[in-house]
This record gives sequence, C-alpha cells and structure tokens, in this order.
Amino acid sequence: MAEKIDEFCAARDLPSAIAYAVNLSLDELLTNTISYGYDDDARHRIDIAIRMDGSAMVVEITDDAKPFDPSEAARPDTDVPIEDRPIGGLGIHFVREMMDGFWYRRSGKHNIVTLTKNTETKNTEDAGTAT
Amino acid sequence: MMDVTTERHDGVLSADVGGRIDGSNVVQFEEAIRTAVEDSDRAVIMDFEKLAYISSAGLRAVLLTAKTLQNRNAKLVLCSLADPIREVFEISGFDKILPIHPTRAEALASLES
Repeated sequence: MAEKIDEFCAARDLPSAIAYAVNLSLDELLTNTISYGYDDDARHRIDIAIRMDGSAMVVEITDDAKPFDPSEAARPDTDVPIEDRPIGGLGIHFVREMMDGFWYRRSGKHNIVTLTKNTETKNTEDAGTAT
Repeated sequence: MMDVTTERHDGVLSADVGGRIDGSNVVQFEEAIRTAVEDSDRAVIMDFEKLAYISSAGLRAVLLTAKTLQNRNAKLVLCSLADPIREVFEISGFDKILPIHPTRAEALASLES
C-alpha cells in the first residue's frame, strides 16, 4: 500500500512529506480497524480510493467493520510527564494533525472515512509553530 | 524492513535503527533493543538517521523503552531524525519528554558527566 501511495505522489511531483503524511494516516486508521473493528474471523474487504481534487489529495476508506467514527475519538493529552503517559491513543491524533480534512459517515453496513491533504500549502510548518 | 545495529562505549549503548517501524515489526524492534541493553548501561542512544518511517506503534515502543530505562535511572536519548520523523515526534509531544539531538556526536556529548 505504501508503495502505491508513493507512486501516486511521485507521478504528480508531490513532496515526500505529503506521501509520508498520507501513508501514516492510512497505516493508523487501517491498523485500528483491523485490530478492533471486527468480531469474527471472516475475510473482510477494505477499499481505498485516492484521487486529486484540484490541489487536494483525497483518500476514501470504506470498510464493513463495526460502526466507529475515528474523527470523534478522544484526544490524548500530549503535555503530561512521561511516567504518566498512557500507552496508545496516538494514531488517530496523527491523522487529525497531519490531514487537512477528516470526515466520517456511515452508509448502510459501511464506515466511510474521507481524508484530504492540501498539496500546495506548507501546513506542516504552520502546525509546528502554532504550539 | 527494519534493522538495528548496536555498539557500546563507556556504558552508553548506541543503536542504529534503519528502515521502517510499524505495527508489523514493532515487536522485533522492541526485542532487538531489549536484548541489546545491559543492566550496566547508563544510557541508550537511538540513532534514527537511517529510519525512513515510524508509526504510532513504533512510538509506543520508544516510549516503553524510555519508561523501562527510567525505572533503572538510565536515560534514552534520540538523534539524527529526518524531518518527517521529527514531525511525528513533535505531534505526539514526545519531543518534550525525550532529548532529541541533531547528531550522534551531540547526543554522546550530552551524556558525558
């Protein structure tokens, strides 16, 4: 999957930081879905569609897992001391921070998550100075 | 996809971590570090110069290593993070709780007492 994202970005001369952010976000969301989304051992299908909408990269993930809205998941407290940090809870935080758009909808038996990443603005710099 | 090579100098274990750390190999990463660390080590440097990718699963392993070392009064220090790796550490807030140095030399110098 990471190779396909890299190819998609390279073919459009998008910065490697964009590919990294999209790869990481997909990795985190799919890991969550596969780890916690199913109660059975059956085979399941997860579709991932990637396209450009103007200068924005749009990623849509469709799965038939239990209803779960990751965009509403709790935020971790990143300011607490190391000894008080719970292990985990970071993956969705990465998606929220690295993507420009993060939407969820339920359609029939499917979860559909849509991510957008602007490819023209250097929003990673903004994120670094905002805190 | 992931490799760890280590060397030890004056009670400081330096671990060169290369490749990708994600949910599929994080257990091997933890195991590689755990088996390399000795009780007499006063610090561990993770050198991420050759690290191309890390996900939250990898960060959890780094945090667990830091906690384990801290319980023994040993330190974990990171160095040579590429920009996207550094960004992941910044977004997680780990850059505020773990020392991160631009180079291995600076990481080593910070541990001299």
